[in-house]
Amino acid sequence: MWNEKPYKKSFRWPQGVRLPILISVHHQSEEATCPFPDGQSDPFDYSERQYGARRGAWRLLEIMSAHSVRGTWLICGATLEKYPEVSRAVKKAGHCIAGHTYAHEMMCNVPPQTEISLIKKTVSVFEDLLGEHIRGWRTCFASHNTIDLILEHSDIEWDGSMWNDDLPSLVEGHGREILEIPFATYSDTALGVDITNPAFPPTRFSTWNANPPDFMLRNLKLAFDALYERSAERAVMMPLVVHDFISGRPFRSKVFDEFVTYAKQFDGVVFTGHDQLAEWCRNTGEFGKE
Amino acid sequence: MAEEIKSQVEDIRWPEGVRLPVVLTFEHQSGEGAPLFAGERPNYMVGGAMQYGARRGIWNILELLDKYKVTATFFVLGTTAERYPETVQAIAKAGHEIAGMGYGFESIRTASEERERSIVQRASAVLKDIAGTKVQGWRCPDYRVSPQTIDILGEEGLLWDSSFLNDDLPYLFKCRSRTLVEIPFTTSTADKTFIGYPYPQRGGADGLASVWSNEFDVLYRESEKSPRMLTLSLQTWATGRPAPLRVLAQFLDRLVGHEEIRFARCSDLAGWRLNGPGMKPA
Repeated sequence: MWNEKPYKKSFRWPQGVRLPILISVHHQSEEATCPFPDGQSDPFDYSERQYGARRGAWRLLEIMSAHSVRGTWLICGATLEKYPEVSRAVKKAGHCIAGHTYAHEMMCNVPPQTEISLIKKTVSVFEDLLGEHIRGWRTCFASHNTIDLILEHSDIEWDGSMWNDDLPSLVEGHGREILEIPFATYSDTALGVDITNPAFPPTRFSTWNANPPDFMLRNLKLAFDALYERSAERAVMMPLVVHDFISGRPFRSKVFDEFVTYAKQFDGVVFTGHDQLAEWCRNTGEFGKE
Repeated sequence: MAEEIKSQVEDIRWPEGVRLPVVLTFEHQSGEGAPLFAGERPNYMVGGAMQYGARRGIWNILELLDKYKVTATFFVLGTTAERYPETVQAIAKAGHEIAGMGYGFESIRTASEERERSIVQRASAVLKDIAGTKVQGWRCPDYRVSPQTIDILGEEGLLWDSSFLNDDLPYLFKCRSRTLVEIPFTTSTADKTFIGYPYPQRGGADGLASVWSNEFDVLYRESEKSPRMLTLSLQTWATGRPAPLRVLAQFLDRLVGHEEIRFARCSDLAGWRLNGPGMKPA
C-alpha cells in the first residue's frame, strides 16, 4: 500500500523556469503489435511499427539534436535488445533514459509475479547492454499493482505511467518514496493516428486512420499557448509524447520539429528530461496537505 | 523463410543527377477490397465507392499523369483486369508499370504455400494475357504477407515486392531462388488514410495536401546528405475523385520540372538498387 502527497498550491519551479516541456520519446518499435483473433501477429501492424527502430527513432534523435533539446527516451527492453545501436546513440546524446516495460506488455492483464519479473528483466537488459541503471519507468497499460511493485521490488525513483494530474505527486510506501510524473494527451497517439489497439483487433481490411499534420500542429500550439498563459501565475508543465513509429515518419516529424521551433522562442520555456524535473521537484516542490 | 540482407545506407546511390526518386503507386481494384458485412455478405456502398476507381478514377488519373509526363506503378487486381481490361491496356500503353496484387483480393496471411503460389500464378497470367507484359513486382492487397510470400515471388520470377512498411529505402531479401528487392511504402501518407471510405473523412483532400507537402519537404531536405525516396500509396478509387486529383496535380506542379526529382517506376528503382552505385540513369 502507498500514500500519495499531491503538490501544494505553493509549488514552484526553480528561478528562470516558467514552462518545462518534457518530451517523452517512446522507443518501442514493433513491440505493441496487435495480434489477429487467431493469436498471430498482424504483419501490416508489425511492419508499420517496425519503421520506428529502423528509421523513425534516428529522425527524432536528429531533430532533438538539431534543436539542442534534451528529453526522455522511454525504451522497451526488447527494443534495446533488437536495436542496441539506437539506444547507444540516445545515451551518447545525453538524454534521460527510462524503462518502458520489456515488450510493451499490458500489465493490467498479468499477475503481480509476472509484472515483477518483467520489471526486473528490463532493468537487467539496460544494465547489460547499455551500462545504464534506470531510474525511471513508464507502463502505458499499468495494473493496479504497478506502483506497489515499483516501490517494493525496484529502486526506480520516478514513475510516469499516470494520466491523472497537472503536476507530479510524491508517493510513499514500502519504506521509500518515488515521484509520480504524470503525462497527458499532448501526444501523437491522441492527436495523430488511430493505431490498431487491443480494443479493436485487426481485420484483413484494416489500416490506420489518421489526422493530418496541420491538425496536430494547431492543437499542440493551442495546448502550449494555454499552458504558457497559465504559467504566468502558477506552476504547470507540458508532457509531450511522441512515438518512434508515428512522429518518426517524415511528414509527422515536421510537426514535431515545427512545434519545438515554436515553443523555443518563449522566455522561460525549458526542454528537459524526467530526471532533471524529478530533481527540481525534490528541491523546490512542495507536497502534502495545504 | 527469406532473410533480409543487411545493408548500409552507403550501399545505395541513385543514378547521376537524381537526388530524390518519387515512386507513385496506384492500387487498381473495383470493389473486391470492400470490407464485408457480417456473414461475408457484400457491402455495395463501400464496394461501389471503390468501383469508381475502375469506372472513372483510372481515366482521370491517366489523363493527369499524361499531362505531366510522369510514369507510375499500378498494382492491378486480377478480377479487375478481367472486368475492365481496357483500363489495364491503357495503363500499359501509357508506359506505366503493371504489377500484381492478387487475383480477387485474397488474404494470404495464413494461406498454404500451394494456395498462395497459385494466386500469384493466376494473377500474373491474367495480367500477361490482358496487358501483354510479365509482371515483375507484387504487393499483397491487404499489406499482410505470409512467411513464404517473398520466397514464392522469387521462385515465380518476380524481381521486387512492395508489401512492407518499415523503411525509407529499398532493401534486399535473400530468398530461396534469388535476390528480391523490397520497396517499402507506408499507409501513413496514403490517400485512403485521410479520404477513405465514404465516411468519416479524417482531414479530407486538404489534409492530404499537407501530408504530401510535409513528406516531400522532409525527405528532400534529408536527401541532401543521405539517399532517400518518396513513395506514395494511392487508390484509383480515392485519388481518382476530382478533389484529391486536384491535390495530386498541385503536388506534381511542385515536383515536375525539378531537376533533381526523378519519377521512377518500382522496377526502375529495383534495378537501381540491384545494380548498385555508379549506374547511369534509366
